[in-house]
Amino acid sequence: MNAWIIAVITVIVAPFIGGLLAGIDRRITARLQGRFGPPILQPFYDTFKLFGKNRIAVNWGQFMWIYFYLLLMITALLFLVLRLDILLLMFILGFAGVAFALGGFSSKSPYSHIGANRELMQMLAYEPVLLLLALGVYAQTGSFMISQIYASPTPLIARLWPIFIALLVILTIKLRKSPFDIATSHHGHQELIKGIMTEFSGPYYAMINITEWYEIVLLLGIVSLFVATPGLWWLGIIIALAAFVLELFIDNIAARMTVGWMVKFAWSVGLTLCILNLIWFWVFAKGVS
Amino acid sequence: MLPYNWMMAVAILLPVVAAILIFIIRQYHVRGLIVILAAIALIVNSVLFLLHGKDTFSPANAQMWDMVVTVLDYLILLFYIYVGISLKNWLVLIFALTQIIPLAWFEFGMGGRAALAQVNPTFVVDHLAIVMCLVISIVGSLICVFAIRYMYDHEHHQHLEKSRQSRFLFWMVLFLGAMNGLVFANNLIYLYFFWEVTTLICFQLIAHDLTKEAIGNAARALWMNSIGGTAMIIAMIILFANGAQLSLNAIIGGGVVSAVLLVPVALMCFTGMVKAAQFPFQSWLLGAMVAPTPVSALLHSSTMVKAGVYLVLRLAPAYAGTKLGIMIALVGAFTFMAASGLAISQTTGKRVLAYSTIANLGLIIACAGINTPLSIAAAILLIIFHAVSKGLMFLNAGAIEHIVWSREIEDMEGLAAKAPLVTVITGIGVLSMFLPPFGMLLGKWLALESASSVVPLAAWMFVIASAATIVFWAKWLGRLFQVLPKLGSKIESLSLSYSVPLVALVLCIFGAGIFVAPIYTGFVQYAVADVISSGQALAASGWGGLAVSGISPVSSTANFPIGNYPVWPLFIVIAIAVLIPLIFIAVKPGELRPVYLCGEQVGGVDADEWYSTADAKVKVQLGGYYFQGVLGEAALNPWTYTLSIVLMVIMFAVALLAMGGAL
Repeated sequence: MNAWIIAVITVIVAPFIGGLLAGIDRRITARLQGRFGPPILQPFYDTFKLFGKNRIAVNWGQFMWIYFYLLLMITALLFLVLRLDILLLMFILGFAGVAFALGGFSSKSPYSHIGANRELMQMLAYEPVLLLLALGVYAQTGSFMISQIYASPTPLIARLWPIFIALLVILTIKLRKSPFDIATSHHGHQELIKGIMTEFSGPYYAMINITEWYEIVLLLGIVSLFVATPGLWWLGIIIALAAFVLELFIDNIAARMTVGWMVKFAWSVGLTLCILNLIWFWVFAKGVS
Repeated sequence: MLPYNWMMAVAILLPVVAAILIFIIRQYHVRGLIVILAAIALIVNSVLFLLHGKDTFSPANAQMWDMVVTVLDYLILLFYIYVGISLKNWLVLIFALTQIIPLAWFEFGMGGRAALAQVNPTFVVDHLAIVMCLVISIVGSLICVFAIRYMYDHEHHQHLEKSRQSRFLFWMVLFLGAMNGLVFANNLIYLYFFWEVTTLICFQLIAHDLTKEAIGNAARALWMNSIGGTAMIIAMIILFANGAQLSLNAIIGGGVVSAVLLVPVALMCFTGMVKAAQFPFQSWLLGAMVAPTPVSALLHSSTMVKAGVYLVLRLAPAYAGTKLGIMIALVGAFTFMAASGLAISQTTGKRVLAYSTIANLGLIIACAGINTPLSIAAAILLIIFHAVSKGLMFLNAGAIEHIVWSREIEDMEGLAAKAPLVTVITGIGVLSMFLPPFGMLLGKWLALESASSVVPLAAWMFVIASAATIVFWAKWLGRLFQVLPKLGSKIESLSLSYSVPLVALVLCIFGAGIFVAPIYTGFVQYAVADVISSGQALAASGWGGLAVSGISPVSSTANFPIGNYPVWPLFIVIAIAVLIPLIFIAVKPGELRPVYLCGEQVGGVDADEWYSTADAKVKVQLGGYYFQGVLGEAALNPWTYTLSIVLMVIMFAVALLAMGGAL
């Protein structure tokens, strides 16, 4: 298929998938908590309502950073669907996070400021793992191109399962789920109001929601890469959905931890798993050529 | 076009003449005009070098120049001895003696002088040297232009009795000539001479303000770099004792050197590492920031530290595929990681910049150590992009300092409202260090792609450094752009001497960033080819290989990955992200709201006070995270020093073992 067509379809369809997942998230979470929960389409209703609100602002800069956040997230997702360089994808995803943090920093609001600082700490926690994931892909396939992952006969998970576990840890941070919903949370956030989101409102808050939907699709897409083999496309969807539901369970059984604990945990477990995995490649498998 | 000997003269001798004129003429406008004219001449001349392409050069009356170099060498070293004695700084004295005694013994006792005189050609200008010359001449000259006005303001603020601006500009302009000589030199004694001149100028410039701290830090820079100088002399002696020709071309011309010569190569790389402020020698560069900001800009971007990485890169063929190369990669990668981590804990803007410089130099050295066509390409691109971005950021740090009269990041809160122009330019500088389409990230990306297959341990250190890099830059940017809900901040006016270099460097960032692909295919890949297979083909080839003969662009493997980096689409994305809000979002006064302070706000929309206990009005105070307990110098430095010293010892050990095995 033509790359342009794939790109256009992705940009249009991805937010619907992401929004639906967010709706499922709310429904399952409600059931886990003994509530009935909102309709599956509730995230869409919420977002449309936000788009109808008047624009209010604390400064001009926050709008620019939201555009950066949204557009870079879409770019990162396009890198995935067009099967381009995974290392560059990680860098772009990284800067999307930076742009969001800068949006939080842009106003002199204590809540959003602390939230933004925590967002940076989250990045410090997950960024090395995401980059090491890319190095792992290289170690196994001999290329950073995502197209090579699809072309290779053995799925990544066969030899990269420690990195896969690290990815699941990181996914909890990225999806803002407990115990790592530290910068902001989808649930009531006791000590920081809405954290980094505090000063975003109206249509621009809606844009952030949509960006998060793109992000869910992107992250689950990266999860699905681990089982990508020629011919078994449905396996990726199953493993991605399983990972998503797993995150929901973790979210509901865990309490929020502190920033320092998160960084220590992500580095000691995530980073260690990744590096052990890569050392194994280097010493025994010699997959690197 | 200018004859070649004239081009060489303009590159090396014109700065000397201009510097002397600047020193004599003590009139602000005339002096400024000379600096500007010299800057223009150097920039034009560097472009002529680019058009001319590869060539070699030996001065006509070689004996006279050899004599001049020798005399000046010993004068410089005698001056170091004088500095050591007059400051009672024994380290300076010791390391001056460790240079002058072996040098004299080598030149006159062992008969090294005759061997040095035979070296032909004296200068080799290949594509790597031309890249360096362009960086030195363009970025360096712009910084000198900035310094004209900056030093005027600086002294105005200091209330000096007698102006010392002439002296300052003298050393600044002289620096450019010394650097050009350094990157062109082929004869090792010329290389050593220009190396010492840069060390000397660095000492003079750091000490410029003559405070106790300035003199102390200058002395530290001097003795540390003297250790490097000593290592270079020892390298020359070992080369000579083994019957090798005393020229760079001879060392790298035959590919990997014989095991016996690995030790001098290691020593010269060590010399480069000291100058490039690699751990454990980072403290001289950190101390250098006491000097007026143009000095930092010059040292960190286009001169001094770049001489260090240049030498390591230059020697790349000599240690290709050896264990020494792997150790060089690890030393650089470790510095990249340690400096990036330490940068998070720094509260002073210039110190963050300094650690970031050290980190990026580490990355460049690591790329040289990895030593594949791809990583060498990364190293050269990083040299170019880092010079432009860092030059811009230090100049900005200077401009900010003259606005808020502080170097502390916390004092820069809300600078976007006070000085929007400088803030936006600083923002561009910072973003160019780590935002995807810009060159620095391209370099980092290339480095990671090349490291992961050759030295995985270095790649893992890159990864951790990368994460830390994001944190410290974003943190700083966040402070700059933190503003109150208020509209219509007035754009400040800047002196032309400030704005011209700043705008020119911003244009360079975008120009080099957007056109990185043509720059790479048209030029940088020839420099890569020169680094890898240097000394073999000395046929002329200019931009795009205008007159290519005997030189080919590096293999398509090095070309291919850059094609995976969609520069233009990414720039378009960034442009849209900036332009949509710029064009379509005009915030009206009625849309402004106060930030959320639990309803305890005092006064209007743009108030940043709140009612505390007993209705006392308290100002909102925010601050960045610095984690000095975990990432501070006190906490980390015992580890960084130990590990970096261990790495350097292992680096020499592998070279010595190779030599021992060969003997």
